[in-house]
Amino acid sequence: MKKGVSLPRWVTDYLGMAIVLAILLAIFGYSARNFFSLPTFKMIASQVPDITILAVGMTLVLIIGGIDLSVGSVMALCGAMLGKSLITWGVPLPLAIGICMLTGLLCGAVNGLVTITWKLPAFIVTLGMLEIARGATFFVTGYRTVDTATSLDFITETTIAGVPMPFVIAILIVALGQLVLSRSVFGRYMVAIGTNEEAVRLSGIDMRPIKVTVFALCGFLAGVAAVIQTARISSANPNVGVGWELQAIAAVVIGGTSLMGGRGSVIGSFFGVLIIAVLSTGLDQIGAEEYIKRIITGAAIVAAVILDYYRNRLSAAK
Amino acid sequence: MNKKITAIILALCLSACATGLIGCKRVVDSGKPRVALVMKSLANEFFKTMEDGAKGHHKANSAEYELVTVGIRDELDVAQQIKLVESMIAQQVNAIVIAPADSIALIPVCKKAIQAGITVVNIDNKFDDEILASRDVKIPFVGPDNRKGATLAGDYLAKKLTKGDKVAIIEGAPNAFNAIQRKLGFEDAMKRAGMNIVSSQTAYWETDRANKVASAMIVAEPQLKAILCANDSMVIGALAAVKAAGKTGDILTVGFDNIAAVQRALKEGRILCTVDQHADKLAVFGIEYALEMLSKGGTPKDRETAVDLITAEKLK
Repeated sequence: MKKGVSLPRWVTDYLGMAIVLAILLAIFGYSARNFFSLPTFKMIASQVPDITILAVGMTLVLIIGGIDLSVGSVMALCGAMLGKSLITWGVPLPLAIGICMLTGLLCGAVNGLVTITWKLPAFIVTLGMLEIARGATFFVTGYRTVDTATSLDFITETTIAGVPMPFVIAILIVALGQLVLSRSVFGRYMVAIGTNEEAVRLSGIDMRPIKVTVFALCGFLAGVAAVIQTARISSANPNVGVGWELQAIAAVVIGGTSLMGGRGSVIGSFFGVLIIAVLSTGLDQIGAEEYIKRIITGAAIVAAVILDYYRNRLSAAK
Repeated sequence: MNKKITAIILALCLSACATGLIGCKRVVDSGKPRVALVMKSLANEFFKTMEDGAKGHHKANSAEYELVTVGIRDELDVAQQIKLVESMIAQQVNAIVIAPADSIALIPVCKKAIQAGITVVNIDNKFDDEILASRDVKIPFVGPDNRKGATLAGDYLAKKLTKGDKVAIIEGAPNAFNAIQRKLGFEDAMKRAGMNIVSSQTAYWETDRANKVASAMIVAEPQLKAILCANDSMVIGALAAVKAAGKTGDILTVGFDNIAAVQRALKEGRILCTVDQHADKLAVFGIEYALEMLSKGGTPKDRETAVDLITAEKLK
């Protein structure tokens, strides 16, 4: 162990991603018009909260060695319940938001319970939920977009010390998620389950409630994301969130969480979301052709993961 | 214990599936001509409206014909739609009214249908003329001129702008014929009026993607005066982006399709205009045309249906 490279762990953990982010900002700052401006950062801040919140849930599920492919559809279903109860069924706002989040919680709990009860792979169970939740969304909305008018504007328009509320909520959820993961017994158990489930079982810990809780939490967070997403586009769209599970997984993996479980960081996932958001915003601002956007986004995901590999070797060598 | 629960749940699932299947209507041979409506994604509001219109028409004219409607799960699932047409050929329907998921890939199977003696009518997304000619197939297209529709909206917008103003276009799926036509229509109108198109990007017909693309356009081009969207789902996203940027009223928005969710915004003038191509009638026009061909025969010709500009004044 050389004295010169012994940086604090949180620096080495996030340094790689911070560098990627800085490089992206530099590239777009140079090539895109008005990229380095307050409106750009305001815009990114208004667009990342929903996917950030999904990514937090996904991080937790991946850490216990699971996966949740249903988050995009569940978010759409929660949004549909919110829009429908608010506009069509005339439910008061706080109750409608409650229904929305409860829907997410239920979907997540079902995912967890089915996975645990029959010892099934989460991959296939949540793939089933992806279909079921999308079908339910179509049923609830009758395939039609629900115009939520101005009823949710307060969410996007409220600012806390100049920062839009959705962004504050997302940051709070990231912080909470990281605290639970690294500073609580529950979090320790999660990592243990993801590292070696059998060992946890043999040491006499009933891990089933923990697993169900994590899946339920992931569903609940999809409900929270739905409120913010619906508010952002002032409507509940039945086709929203298609493919978001993969976006969330990409962000989480860029952030250094292992797909195999047992290792991960919520803050890392937030960095992952930011990298993808900056990349896509920059490409949109340049007005790049669709095929270029796709190729660059794909390459960036792979590059970020390769970088993470070297960071791991670096910290393992210490 | 667990086994019992499993068994009960499985039994419930199976019986639910069985009830569902029985609930589906069987097509009974009644001597009436059978028309198959082969749609794109029924999860899309636009096609749903089209299907509902067709079902309504069938209900009112159930003495005239039998109607079978089928759709694909994903708008781009070409292989699935080819299979659907093949199964309609196998079922020996009399006519197929099709909204093709791809304007080239569906031509061979439709040719097969014609050779099997089935009348084929093309709606919504027009088959590629050149390929039709090279394959020596004649399939009449019944539907609106999307380019003309988009031009109507563009011309109306141009009246509210001054020459040289910066505008942006949000396109539909880049491989869809109607998306390309709408883009061309917007461009026709904007160029004729001397507007400056600073950006044109796709958002794949989706609200959320349009929201992100529009936000980026607004930041990159602070002088932007208007955003023209190739459908209404995208104009909803663009409108939210305009609002988030605090530019409501400074940036005009234009949509296409006239779906229910944009009515309020149109009436309040937050969306300048949209174009109605009468989605509820599109399939009906195709079915009527197919029935006409079945009873009268004759050489198939294209038939253009109406497109109308919808503005706040028209909704009052």
